[in-house]
Amino acid sequence: MCSSSNSIIQTQKLVDQLRIEASMERFKISLTAADLVQYCQEHRRSDPLITGISASSNPFKDKKSCVLL
Amino acid sequence: MRSPPIPEMATQEVQLNETLAHLKTESETLKTKLEEERAKLHDVELHQVAEKVEALGQFVMKTRRTLKGHGNKVLCMDWCKDKRRIVSSSQDGKVIVWDAFTTNKEHAVTMPCTWVMACAYAPSGCAVACGGLDNKCSVYPLSLDKNENLAAKKKSVAMHTNYLSACSFTNSDMQILTSSGDGTCALWDVESGQLLQSFHGHAADVLCLDLAPSETGNTFVSGGCDKKANVWDMRSGQCIQSFETHESDINSVRYYPSGDAFASGSDDATCRLYDLRADREVAIYSKESIIFGVSSVDFSLSGRLLFGGYNDYTINVWDVLKGTRVSILFGHENRVSTLRVSPDGTAFCTGSWDHTLRIWA
Repeated sequence: MCSSSNSIIQTQKLVDQLRIEASMERFKISLTAADLVQYCQEHRRSDPLITGISASSNPFKDKKSCVLL
Repeated sequence: MRSPPIPEMATQEVQLNETLAHLKTESETLKTKLEEERAKLHDVELHQVAEKVEALGQFVMKTRRTLKGHGNKVLCMDWCKDKRRIVSSSQDGKVIVWDAFTTNKEHAVTMPCTWVMACAYAPSGCAVACGGLDNKCSVYPLSLDKNENLAAKKKSVAMHTNYLSACSFTNSDMQILTSSGDGTCALWDVESGQLLQSFHGHAADVLCLDLAPSETGNTFVSGGCDKKANVWDMRSGQCIQSFETHESDINSVRYYPSGDAFASGSDDATCRLYDLRADREVAIYSKESIIFGVSSVDFSLSGRLLFGGYNDYTINVWDVLKGTRVSILFGHENRVSTLRVSPDGTAFCTGSWDHTLRIWA
């Protein structure tokens, strides 16, 4: 009896959770993927690992030593 | 001789079983409906939408710094917002704060436990949080006085009933989000140690979490040994979306910079991208030649690159939009266990079971 009640509680929780997920508004991938692509393109130029910023502005890249004449 | 069951009890039991049967049917119906709804939206693949996008050029990324000092496996690391300091934690119980530019160690704390699996830098840069086999998350304020004993000011914040797998400050020093081997995530007030919200839903250890970028609201994603990635509402504690396509433990989850998607890395040797508005997986990053698990993933600043640290000691760099691998990086002499891109995107840091951390750019 007790285990039946527990199963019911658990299954009720599952049903409640699924109801929440089922009620969500979803969009087609053709639309959402276009937004992902657009974000990449818009931020491309400010992405140092893509544009490969020069050694002088990247603190981790070694600068060539300068010679004072 | 057995006495016959009391009629009342028998009726009750029949009713309970009927209720259970109804609920089970309803859950199956809902699951099928969800699958159908998600399938309807699958009108195109991400890489098809990205066909016209320019291909990426050749990548030359090298180790620029090696941080040596841990006496055992490095398990976790995090960047400070100042883009140069790093906190790392190790199996030997040590938590070290480094200046990544100079490779100098600025602070070191010895935890009372081994396997410090989680560490995080506070947004202010004035404290670090860490924990692991002690089942707790503790916060250490960082002192400017190098001689001060950091352990003396330690504050115990979170208490779980199993190991701490990950921790992260929210957008202030005042709250910490944790995930644990006890199957739950929790939100804590740092000052009082009070539990503000708990998140139940994973069926096994939760291994990782990531907070949504602050512009997109109060949600976070978690991944676990139940192969599920769950998205949670921080205020209500409710699981609002769930994804189960990986074939093994999910070791790492990370939001796409716009907050509309997240990536995951798993013991099934794949990384995957999940689109939150389409509510489904939209890309798998894998190769037949890659057979070892992914321990940690992170995006470059624009979201175009996905870096994955693997158990075969390598880092694979993926073109997020086209689904192809753009580079493979060698250097570590054991598993890569943790990987984070710096806050300004100029470099990324990896930690490894070879006891070192490396900065790549």
